[in-house]
Amino acid sequence: MYMRLARPAFALTGLLVLTLVLLAVAASSGADWINPWHPGDATSAAIYWQLRLPRVLTAFAVGGLLAVAGAWFQVMLQNPLAEPYILGVAGSAASGAVAAAAVFPASAWAMPAGAFAGASLGIAVVGLFASLGPARLLLAGVVLAAFWAAVLALLLTLLPARALGRAFGWMLGDIASSPLSPTLLLAALAVSVLAGLWLSVSLDRLLLGEIQARALGVPVRRLHLGLLLGASAMTAVAVTAAGTIGFVGLVVPHLVRMLIGPMHRWLIPGAALAGGALLVVADTAARTVVAPAELPVGVLTALLGVPVFLFLLVHRR
Amino acid sequence: MNGLAIDGLAVQRGEKLLIGDLRCEATPASVTVILGPNGVGKSTLLQMLAGLLPVAGGQVRWQGRSLDAYARRDWAEAVSWQGAVEYADFGLTVAERLHLAAGIRTGLEADGILQALDVAALMARPLAQLSSGERQRVEVGAAMLRPTPVLLLDEPTAHLDLRHQAACLRLMRRQADAGRVVLAVLHDVVQAAAVADRVVLLYGDGRSEAGPASAMLAPERLAALYGMPMRAIEGGGMLPDFRRTV
Repeated sequence: MYMRLARPAFALTGLLVLTLVLLAVAASSGADWINPWHPGDATSAAIYWQLRLPRVLTAFAVGGLLAVAGAWFQVMLQNPLAEPYILGVAGSAASGAVAAAAVFPASAWAMPAGAFAGASLGIAVVGLFASLGPARLLLAGVVLAAFWAAVLALLLTLLPARALGRAFGWMLGDIASSPLSPTLLLAALAVSVLAGLWLSVSLDRLLLGEIQARALGVPVRRLHLGLLLGASAMTAVAVTAAGTIGFVGLVVPHLVRMLIGPMHRWLIPGAALAGGALLVVADTAARTVVAPAELPVGVLTALLGVPVFLFLLVHRR
Repeated sequence: MNGLAIDGLAVQRGEKLLIGDLRCEATPASVTVILGPNGVGKSTLLQMLAGLLPVAGGQVRWQGRSLDAYARRDWAEAVSWQGAVEYADFGLTVAERLHLAAGIRTGLEADGILQALDVAALMARPLAQLSSGERQRVEVGAAMLRPTPVLLLDEPTAHLDLRHQAACLRLMRRQADAGRVVLAVLHDVVQAAAVADRVVLLYGDGRSEAGPASAMLAPERLAALYGMPMRAIEGGGMLPDFRRTV
């Protein structure tokens, strides 16, 4: 389980180069290979600059946000196999989106606005239980996830059939119809990485458990609140942009930790790069494998993520 | 005034008063050992002193200034604490664990601590793969490496083999001789006799006694404290007489 590379800086540089290459390849891939510097004709250039590149950047930012949020949730909950969606935030966001789509079927902004409201509501509910401590908060999250799944099922049965397709598409993860611009999403990712680096010493000490972290002078309660709000806001932004995409936040920080260790000044940028790269690859596969049709990217990440998760679960002591 | 003063502190568990009105002072360049049966509030007391639990009933002062007046971070700079805590396995190595406690602290003193505890050879190992004794050596080393004037140790010799118990006691003595306040919970009266300048006895019913080691470690006192026959041995000192209790 410990294939730690000797130099995290070296591993991180490698990851950066790999990510850039993947981004370039993904943006050129599709029905036709498009070289951005010699696009051939104006249509190809438009496809590249206005469709593919924004989509690739969106996937990268969303994947990065989910992975960084996952890393925060894992250290906060003292559980290396936790993720944002485990606290029911995805379910509440989906419920909000579907409810809004039912009430305002004509508005293009109904679903994203509903998703953001739903995610925020889910976060507020989780916040009520934040004082329970990590282990019981995790349990509360599992129960809340079941609750939001029930709410969602109820809403879907009430939804007019016409709106069902859109709601389903969004719930399965959909990078293409993000209502948020790639620039905004990349900015959110940059802020979350900088915040993670700023907090990295406290996050590292939290790896020793709450008591030891407090003995080392970390204001644990304040840090927990900040992490919960920050990671949940990141999740809300990611969910608003791309619907529910699971397992990126769970698997990526875990794998990066195995590769370059758990110290957060390396882990946070590493998770952002690897999470982004993973979702770019998954989304590119989703739109090319069965082209011209598209697979829902959330389904792909789940199909990939579940076996990886179970493997990690079995091979941990 | 210049040490760690405990002034009228109390520990309760539910309705039961375990420690009542405890008054004593651990001074720089001395080792104070806390003795008492299981469940009398020894670890709770130590965690209160570390600022990890709210101080009940009285006050804790460091160099005359109350713990309440310190920010979390400032108290942590004065007091280092070692105790049994479980934490999730995130893959930390021994070197990273020590780094989190102490920052990069090198020099003869740090080398001496790590060498005495035989931690140097464990540096690259993941914490999760250590035995409980190896883990304990790392935790004791991490606490001692922190550059704090006060050192609180909760059963530092637990899980250690005899040679490392000896090394741990020798380090406690050396830390005190270097001017630190050393306060430790121990379960072995022989170890206490070897290392302690002062001893605090906790009876678990609110009563406590504090005084010089020679007076506190009298066989009849310890027999009353633990409900165990104690046997004086040649050349001074005493042992719990297990031969009479088996």
